[in-house]
Amino acid sequence: MLERLIDPDAPAITVMVQGATGRAASRNIGRMRAHGTHIVAGVSPRGAGDSIEGIPLFATATEAAAATGAEASLLMVPPLSVLPAATEALEAGVKLIVTVTEGIPVHDTVRLHAVVRTHGATWIGASSPGLAVPGRCKLGFLPDACLLPGPLAIWSKSGTLSYETGLRLVARGLGQSAWIGVGGDPVKGTRFADLVAPFRHHAPTRGVVIVGEIGGTEEEELAEVLATAPMGKPIYAILAGAAAPEGRMMGHAGAIVSGGRGGFSSKAAALEAAGVHVFRAIAPMVDRIANDMKEHRP
Amino acid sequence: MPVAAPLAPPIEPPWVAKAQVQAGGRGKAGGIRMVSGTADLAQAAQEIGSLTIAGFPVRDIRVEAAILNARELYFGLVLDPARAEVIVMASQAGGIDVETEADRMATCNAALDASALHAALDAIAGAFPADLAPVVRAAGTILIEAFLDLDATMIEINPLFVLPDGSWIAGDVRLDLDINALPRQPALAQLIADRAGTYADAAFKQAHGYDLVVTDPAGHIGLVATGAGLSMQLLDEMTRRGLSPYNFCDIRSGMMRGDPARLIENLTALKEAQNLRCVLVNIFAGITELGEFAALLLRARDAVPDLDVPFIVRLVGNGQDRAHEILLAAGHPGLTLERDMDRALDLCAEACDA
Repeated sequence: MLERLIDPDAPAITVMVQGATGRAASRNIGRMRAHGTHIVAGVSPRGAGDSIEGIPLFATATEAAAATGAEASLLMVPPLSVLPAATEALEAGVKLIVTVTEGIPVHDTVRLHAVVRTHGATWIGASSPGLAVPGRCKLGFLPDACLLPGPLAIWSKSGTLSYETGLRLVARGLGQSAWIGVGGDPVKGTRFADLVAPFRHHAPTRGVVIVGEIGGTEEEELAEVLATAPMGKPIYAILAGAAAPEGRMMGHAGAIVSGGRGGFSSKAAALEAAGVHVFRAIAPMVDRIANDMKEHRP
Repeated sequence: MPVAAPLAPPIEPPWVAKAQVQAGGRGKAGGIRMVSGTADLAQAAQEIGSLTIAGFPVRDIRVEAAILNARELYFGLVLDPARAEVIVMASQAGGIDVETEADRMATCNAALDASALHAALDAIAGAFPADLAPVVRAAGTILIEAFLDLDATMIEINPLFVLPDGSWIAGDVRLDLDINALPRQPALAQLIADRAGTYADAAFKQAHGYDLVVTDPAGHIGLVATGAGLSMQLLDEMTRRGLSPYNFCDIRSGMMRGDPARLIENLTALKEAQNLRCVLVNIFAGITELGEFAALLLRARDAVPDLDVPFIVRLVGNGQDRAHEILLAAGHPGLTLERDMDRALDLCAEACDA
């Protein structure tokens, strides 16, 4: 499903929005459609039978899928509702779910991970700002000011640090081939390493920007995959949290160095050994990418 | 941190005095001491009470009966985030040696459900000698239930004492809980609220709905920022320049909804910083309207007038021009506006040097 999502020649994916009448959804449905997202249904128990911006609303994901054949679901529901709502969408046949909710209990994300696997589906999140293929679709709330069609794939654990990075690259004329917010939770549907295969032969992508941070082993797993199966395109990484004290959770549920594991140094060393250009500050990374992309320009 | 001298427990010595901190490795750090009697206890309490273990000052000491002549096992359950499973672990070499004898740890991965966890427990207990297997089964059954009931990310008994008569005692229990599960774990939420001094970061988040972590009590730069990743990056870039930030902050500006209360709390918290030289306000707004944020910032600044240091304000994104108009019109002498992050950090450096 991810391959199709980022394929510029594939037909658009049909999307339902669960929690469609909530604050987050009502602010973002119009923005997502402006990017070309094909939203065919909304799910809202209290709005059923009604519509929002011309999109029909259904009481349940089951009804929405049956009536519209939606292939993907964007969930904008409260933390404790994500597991039941996503399970319902998957059982109704949805093959891609994107969850932007922060603060989902980790037992729920573990259980959802198992449900996603059982249904052979793809999950982006939890705690993701969403994803976008600029000019084609956007699911979630990546800021429009940062989105521009271009040659860079952005894979990010952090929303705000990726916005800052994305905006500075856009200021240099460098937009995105795709932007995937994998999220800052420890358990997630799609990890950095899972993105290597779909992007290796993704023609619009000429370089990859990793926005990582301390905690967990995701950067190390990525390095392991790259060491055996290189991307064949330059990869740049900014990793936040070098100055974070051990044992303290830094905002994101996954951002904690504990027992000497998950620290900056091991991530930087693993990625550098796999040929990734690792940066400690944003400005030099943006300069380097701008320079490299100029050289690579046909 | 002075710790009140513990009362001698109403049991016969010897006792064990244990630092109560939310970190492992207490034994190696000198936080656990065998105590022979009352005089020894006072001495141990004073020494343990002066320790800071893995960044956590010792605030509480637990005194309990020493367990003698027991075998020490280990049993634990921990989440494996990469595989989205649970690792069930047990070892015959428990206690302080558990890490150095890691090759003696039996492990089994299981899905997060009772039947899979019990199957893993059976497999592990089956590999123990006949006299120890019932202990592993009994302790494991209790821990599986607790892991599921409490939304734990890790729970372990170490050491798991096995006495000569075959009975067992949980020497120490470590529970790592999931702060995101607290809305459905009222007892754990209450425990954190009741011990806000011990669980400072979690208690702050529970009480205020956002994150503020004091990373260096002696730091010079107070931070008001939104977004965990960007806030961490700001701390990194300050540190690399030789500056010393006081705190991490993810204020979640999108959740303020026209109320300056969160900003007022944030600024009030910065008053605790003894060496504060300036405040950096860094907000990247995707959706938040920065004009509204600027107005709230002015109100918060006026509400905390004794925070008398320069403010360097960087507001970028949705509504940035209107935000600058509002802040410039207010003509506040202590506020400097700067949109470029590196130049904003230069201004912080100047304020620290002044």
